[in-house]
Amino acid sequence: MSVVLTWIVFLPMLSAGVLGLFRVRHTVLRAGAMLSALLVLALTLLTAVQFDPQAEGMQFVRHLPWIFQYGITYYLGLDALSLVILLVIALLMPLLYLYMWDNPTSGYWYNMLLLQTGVTGAVLSLDLVLFYLFYETMLLPIFIMIGRYGHDWNHAHAMKILLFTVLGSMAMLFAILYLGYAHYSFYGNWSFAWQDLAKLPLDPQTATWLAAGFLLAFAIKIPLLGFHTWMATAYASAPTPALVILSAIMAKLGIYGLWRFGYGIFAQVLHLYEPILLALSLVGMLYYAIHAITQKDLRKMFAYSSGSHLSLIALGVVLANLYAWSGSLYLIATHALASAGIFLMIGLIHQRTDTVQIDGLGGIASVAPRFAFFFTFFALSIVGVPGTGGFVAELLIIIGAFSVHPWLGAATATTMLAAMLFVFWMLQRTLFGAPVPSTVTFADLNRRETVMLAPLALLLVITGMAPSLFTPLFTPQIQAMLLQFVHAAGGAS
Amino acid sequence: MMATFAPLIPTTLVIVGAFVLLLISTVRSIHLQSYLTITVAFLLLAFAVALPQFGTQSGVYVLPDVFGHTYLADDFATLFDLMFLGGGVLTLLINAIYLRKRDYYNGEFFALFLFAIFGMMTLAHANDLVAAFISLELTSIAIYALTGYHKNYRGSNEAMLKYLVLGSFAGAMFILGTALFYGVAGTTVISELAIFIQHHGSEHLLALSTAGLLIMVTILFKIGAVPFHSWLLDVYLGAPFPVTMFMASVLKVALFAIALRLYLILYVDTGLVGNGVISLIAVLTLLGGSWLALSQSMLKRMLAGSSIVHGGYMLIALSSIGLGAHLAAPAIMFYLLSYFLSSVGAFGILSYIAADATRPLTYDDFKGMAHRRPYLSAMMAISMLSLSGFPSTIGFLGKFYIFMSAIEAGQIALAGLGIFIAFVSVYYYFKLIAMMYFYPCEEEGCERKPFEIHISTLLIGLMALLTIWGGIGTSLIPWFPGADGMISIAKQAIGSLP
Repeated sequence: MSVVLTWIVFLPMLSAGVLGLFRVRHTVLRAGAMLSALLVLALTLLTAVQFDPQAEGMQFVRHLPWIFQYGITYYLGLDALSLVILLVIALLMPLLYLYMWDNPTSGYWYNMLLLQTGVTGAVLSLDLVLFYLFYETMLLPIFIMIGRYGHDWNHAHAMKILLFTVLGSMAMLFAILYLGYAHYSFYGNWSFAWQDLAKLPLDPQTATWLAAGFLLAFAIKIPLLGFHTWMATAYASAPTPALVILSAIMAKLGIYGLWRFGYGIFAQVLHLYEPILLALSLVGMLYYAIHAITQKDLRKMFAYSSGSHLSLIALGVVLANLYAWSGSLYLIATHALASAGIFLMIGLIHQRTDTVQIDGLGGIASVAPRFAFFFTFFALSIVGVPGTGGFVAELLIIIGAFSVHPWLGAATATTMLAAMLFVFWMLQRTLFGAPVPSTVTFADLNRRETVMLAPLALLLVITGMAPSLFTPLFTPQIQAMLLQFVHAAGGAS
Repeated sequence: MMATFAPLIPTTLVIVGAFVLLLISTVRSIHLQSYLTITVAFLLLAFAVALPQFGTQSGVYVLPDVFGHTYLADDFATLFDLMFLGGGVLTLLINAIYLRKRDYYNGEFFALFLFAIFGMMTLAHANDLVAAFISLELTSIAIYALTGYHKNYRGSNEAMLKYLVLGSFAGAMFILGTALFYGVAGTTVISELAIFIQHHGSEHLLALSTAGLLIMVTILFKIGAVPFHSWLLDVYLGAPFPVTMFMASVLKVALFAIALRLYLILYVDTGLVGNGVISLIAVLTLLGGSWLALSQSMLKRMLAGSSIVHGGYMLIALSSIGLGAHLAAPAIMFYLLSYFLSSVGAFGILSYIAADATRPLTYDDFKGMAHRRPYLSAMMAISMLSLSGFPSTIGFLGKFYIFMSAIEAGQIALAGLGIFIAFVSVYYYFKLIAMMYFYPCEEEGCERKPFEIHISTLLIGLMALLTIWGGIGTSLIPWFPGADGMISIAKQAIGSLP
């Protein structure tokens, strides 16, 4: 059973290798990619079923030596946190392939296959060098996809996202190296496994600097306010499937890193950064929301809205109590579903009308009612209308904020309400009114597109109506993680 | 009897090969292909003899009644011999197409090539400063001539003259340093010098430090460390491709061989001044090299600039040896190997493409390469990833070891700078990847060129595979060294030093 994670990570890459070796035709390629994605989904569901929420620590662990000299290991494992993200990735990939179904460019498909290996590997690695490897290599397919298949200054924007992200991960690499050396100088043997590094008795000053390296990497990836200048341009230039991965998965990996490694390794010094992170995410939420209102380009609009929600998730993580952490984890999943839905639909709009400028759209509801229904649904679930999963998650985070301090709760709640405004205005301008020339012949959703969007919508409703179906999966472990964190943080002070 | 001669056989084979080539180059009817075959045959034969010797020797003086203590056979030197021989074979075979399409390559070219390799091998074995100087000059003179081999190309002539004048001047420093050492210690044998410095180092600190630094200046000049780098870009650009590749990869390995041997006796536990100077030069080299590499549009010059930067990384590790990082010396060896694999790949592809070109290749020439030559583009991309130190390639592990040794030595700021420079290098390496993959095909020449099965292209492919294998390879295949095995080999070689 312990090899299942290895299969989940490497099956897409293996498929890409085999399909590439035989230089298969488009029809075979897409079937093969879809097959691998479905297999990964099946394996993931299998792990989810066998996953024991009550058990402590990592499950399905695979721990093999890799480079003896420096104690670097091939170390995969899974807990509730990674399981949620893994489920999201596995679920989204087949839907993305459905979106790409008629796209004959084979490079597109290979990049997507490699990308899946990259992101799943990053979520499942517990050895920091292995994590760094996946964290960095998953950038390559994105770089190529934006540069090759993107639009609007995509070459410059591809370089921009690459350089920003690499700068962050280089800072993290430095911290990783130092941690490994610290382990060696304390215990006389090398190790990069995260639970070993978490136990290091670092002096606070060093730990503060090292934490900064990690936080820089994750702040750029999320992106927090001030580290975000690559975001809107990359989102606007990326082709739709890459865009979905960027917003729904890669940004969440920043949160995941903050959570797993920030809170896992640097528990004792993180309180120094908490005010900064809190301020950045609170102000960021509002700032991104205001930006979203002013955008004329749908992609950029939802890029900023995505930034706003990721700031909210980061806020939940920083609040560090049971409500907030549960809410953040829930929002990671539901926001991924909703933003995947909306970005896919924006992609459809682009295919149909050749524009994503709000000025060029209008009256879609009157010519394509099914399209308008789904579009409204996803837009509303992004902002967390009651009845969708986002609402539950945001509510939990707000409760978490209130339990820290009433003012903090109030601030979170009001900024969130403000963040909703843009959506209604946008819907009014794109969907309603009389059709404009570009939307007169707007085709409604066909069967493939409906199949692609329905699971997302269905899941959003289920997560919204019956959160009790999902919470038992992660609550015990979140509680345990929280206890561990409080213990580690308290031990220092 | 045989056992005493055995360590000499590979070196002898190479020099005999050189003379054989010189003799037969007077015969007009022999074709380039035959010269190539003979040269490669001699190199491979020497390689085959040297390979089993690795792991058996720990510091034996060869024929002490003839050479005294000048010629030392140890695993350290044997590993370097293997790298020179293998590197020579790869350089020649990868450039086979380039050589074939030019009419000015003849027997002397290959003879000079073998003389250069002979000089490098004796340099790695030298346990005497005078012997080291002679070896170094032998290599240098052969390479001066090779640099100017493109007789009718003014750039090539310019490069040769520049290299000759500056290189000879720098070489003089080495002999001056040697003289100072002799004046103080009364010996030029490196291992005896080491003992002298251990015991009486503090009494003659100024003279010994000056002598050590003078010798280091020569080595730093040849490596192309800033501020001794001004010749490097023009020489790399002007030299014929096989020679540039040879200088960037094999010659650099040879220089670090002597640098390591000298460094380990001069600056480890001796109190000689100079370790700080090396750190400072590492900083200058990293910054200056990056600046040069960033501002180039010709690929050959970019690779030349970046080779300065790679020298800078190794200087980081070199300066860390003196501060007690016990894995720094193997880290340099591993880095040399990783840089060798990736740069031979990159230069090889350039030379393959430049075989038909009439002017130096620029970034723009690679626009849309991925459509025309998908396999070569993929290999080039792998080389670039490795050179920039992207994880899952051998270049990443090389940098990993280097920075680790700097942290271990307490040079935190230097490690931080190195990582930042690696970030900067992402830009100029990825620019080439972007050129190859981002652009659609232009109108002319858009049709896909078939992958030519030839020894050159196959070897380039092998380099790309090894680059990946060195980055992720595990010990799953018992007889083939993976990422882990390579560093063990390097450690064993360093362990054989006194």
